[in-house]
Amino acid sequence: MSAVTLATFLGIHSIRDVGQATIIGIINGASYALLGMGFALILGVTGRFHFAYGIGFTFTAYIAALGVGPWGLALVPAAILGIIVGILLGVACEALVYRPLAARAGEQALLGVFVASLGLVIAGENFIPEVWGNNTRPLGGFPDHTYTVAKLVFTRLELTLVILAVVIAVVMTLVLNRTILGQQIKAVSANPDMASAVGVNVGRIFLVVFALGSLIGGIAALFTGMRFAVTPTMGDTSVFYAFVVAFVAGVTRSPRFVAAVGLLIGLIESLSTLWVSQTESSITVFGLLLVWLTIRVLPTAIRQLSGALSGRGVPRSAAEARKAVS
Amino acid sequence: MFWVDILNQCLIFAIMAMSLNLLLGYAGQVSVAQAAFAAIGGYAAAYLSLKHGWNPIAGIGLGMGIALALGIIISIPALMLASEYLILLTLAIQTVVLVGLSNIAAFGGLLGLTGLPSVSLLGKQLLLPSDWIWPLLGLTAIIFALLSWIGESPFGRVLRGIREDQLATQSLGKDVFVRKVIVFGLSSMIAALGGGLYGMYNGTVSPPLYGFSTSILLVAIVVLGGRGNLLGSILGSIIVVGSQGVFEQVINLDPASAALIRLICFGLLLVIVLMVRPVGLLPERAGIGSLLRLLRRRSARVAAVPELTAEQLATEVAQGVGAQEHAGEPAAVVQVFDVRKAFGGIRAVDGLSFELKEGRVTGLIGPNGAGKSTVFNVITGRFPPDSGTVHLFGQDITGWPIDRVARHGMVRSFQDVRVFPNLTVLDNVRMAVPHQRGETLRDLFLTPWRVIQDQKRTRALAEHALAFVGMAEKANVGVSTLPFGEQKLVALARILAADAKVMLLDEAASGISVEWVDRMIDIIRKLAEHGLTVCVVEHNLNFVERVADHVYFMEAGRITAGGTIEDLVRDERLVEAYFGQP
Repeated sequence: MSAVTLATFLGIHSIRDVGQATIIGIINGASYALLGMGFALILGVTGRFHFAYGIGFTFTAYIAALGVGPWGLALVPAAILGIIVGILLGVACEALVYRPLAARAGEQALLGVFVASLGLVIAGENFIPEVWGNNTRPLGGFPDHTYTVAKLVFTRLELTLVILAVVIAVVMTLVLNRTILGQQIKAVSANPDMASAVGVNVGRIFLVVFALGSLIGGIAALFTGMRFAVTPTMGDTSVFYAFVVAFVAGVTRSPRFVAAVGLLIGLIESLSTLWVSQTESSITVFGLLLVWLTIRVLPTAIRQLSGALSGRGVPRSAAEARKAVS
Repeated sequence: MFWVDILNQCLIFAIMAMSLNLLLGYAGQVSVAQAAFAAIGGYAAAYLSLKHGWNPIAGIGLGMGIALALGIIISIPALMLASEYLILLTLAIQTVVLVGLSNIAAFGGLLGLTGLPSVSLLGKQLLLPSDWIWPLLGLTAIIFALLSWIGESPFGRVLRGIREDQLATQSLGKDVFVRKVIVFGLSSMIAALGGGLYGMYNGTVSPPLYGFSTSILLVAIVVLGGRGNLLGSILGSIIVVGSQGVFEQVINLDPASAALIRLICFGLLLVIVLMVRPVGLLPERAGIGSLLRLLRRRSARVAAVPELTAEQLATEVAQGVGAQEHAGEPAAVVQVFDVRKAFGGIRAVDGLSFELKEGRVTGLIGPNGAGKSTVFNVITGRFPPDSGTVHLFGQDITGWPIDRVARHGMVRSFQDVRVFPNLTVLDNVRMAVPHQRGETLRDLFLTPWRVIQDQKRTRALAEHALAFVGMAEKANVGVSTLPFGEQKLVALARILAADAKVMLLDEAASGISVEWVDRMIDIIRKLAEHGLTVCVVEHNLNFVERVADHVYFMEAGRITAGGTIEDLVRDERLVEAYFGQP
């Protein structure tokens, strides 16, 4: 609310504009929260830089859109089918590609996994238009309804998304804190070797985490498809936001915190449209990300650089050195 | 004409891929913003030639300048980031640059700029693909030669050191930060050249041409071809771009479908190559440098490296650093006063004071967890102390970074060896040689002949050190394939080649066979006789007894006793502290 008052106070916009931008920010933020929670779970627990998260995302939405379109399914079975495909893709990435690769690459596994998942992205992004055509597809079938509360407009679909994001954040936190599976996931996240030593099947937990992360990402994908449309490259931007949310929050933080960061980023992006154009709003987010990263490292960078730029002198002889000592 | 066009496109991609290889392959910095830097070159050339009637070549030049400046600016935060965060940072740059360009009306928005004027070179209009082929071939050859010269030089070796183990590289006195800045700038500049050619050749620039997909394609080309191998980047470009021609002409697919299918195949090929051959198609050691070496070796005589005695080697090292024997009371070259360092609540070093005397071997012993390794970390500047001072040759070096301390004459080894796993034994040791010509770009380009000459000195020093530890025959073997004990010997050779007046050896003798322990003691004694200062942290008391003139006993972060080892062993309390209660 304070942002609303402040912006109004600045005399730039009407309360309604600011309120509507806030609503849109919350809705987008809910989507970013889901993306971030799924990606942070995978990266935080398994350490795999799963760039192909975006491919799972795109395939989930695509299968659902094909389901309700050419295949003639109802929305719910189509959505479930899409989610299942997304989960299978995520699990397959881990089981068939990342795990064997990491076993060979050892310490340099991060780069290997990252590049392999880039390969999957390149293949997947071109597979979709080749097989199903390059056109944008609708993902319809949601019994939508538009609400107007105090001149602020939102839809039932958007409301569902926000509620679902909150529910998933709470459920994920409960699962991690209150169940045996959750304890095992946290144990693997903290120290895989130790977890393995006390009898946790680390490989199985990795697969479970990939499945869970893909599930959450898939839910975000369905809503993105329903709100806008389904395109072959929709995963690119989404995975960017997933990265930003996960890294800014910290990949090992609780899902609730990650979700809160997602919401905040949605709000920042949306409220910035009060001043900059819609297409430039992603600049705001990534520009802020640049600033954030720079501030994070600047003190150390300056110390190191100033150290590096001074004091190249080396006493050439022991005599000189002794002179310096005495 | 069709195949000439394909070849031209391959060459343009090869230039961009080679620029990324310098950054990713040699220096190990993963960037997904290379296409954004290419876009700067492309848009500068397109906009200035189309709207202001500039010569496109001048436009590309300006774009290269802008990319150089931007590359240097972003390298500053990138210096300190772990690789995940560097990927995130470059992702943000890619997005900001591309969204920025597509929002500028003068740059044609999302559609970009089309109908660019043709480029004229030396009075000749480049209209057809066949007009472009010779300039592009020439340019690719120049970039290849330039980057090979940089990559295979001492400068390039330091870059590889950064990739393999930044801390170990710094601990040898190499300034990694300035070099990272240079590499970011240079790589961005060459990417802008490639991007400028890409736009002018195709007669159009647009955001998708330089989008995120292009960036990841470049990363994929470099990794597929082989990191640190420029020929690999050219091969990778030929595979990914050239396959377009194969699919179109040989398999007769329509161009759009061929473009999709070749990228599906390429993506899968990349995954398969990473799984079965993680080093890429052309491994680093099959690069141009080793090809040249192979040729040279065939012509030149195969000189056996003379095995030096400890005395000879110690003399050589002492001459290198200008140390000399002297009579009288030795000066304290290292003075540590009341140093404290806490990690969280654990006080690892707690009020520590000691001296290392010139020409003496000092032992540091104590039970596990006493803070011995932390002492090395703190006095060499890996972790700045919370309080207290460290003096080296009378100068206050408290808080200096590790590479500056090393350049000032104090070099350490690591308990966990920290050799550079993917470099050869010889390169591991050569890396250590200080003051090499060709470690800076200024040397490389202003006095190239001296660089080549100086390499002989570097090589001889490294070979002598290697011969001394008995590893001369394995000079061209990758270090990661050696057993641990031999890696320790390489690490010893490395610190000998580092020409330091003060050497700190952390558990140097553990894990190596008895005969080599004897040799190690021999060389350490000889080095001390020649006026060098050595400090050893060691668990093997017998080793300490034989090598050290003076021994400090350390417990719970402070020194509690000092003297000869006999003095310490006589003290029952110390023996109990060391071995535990009987």
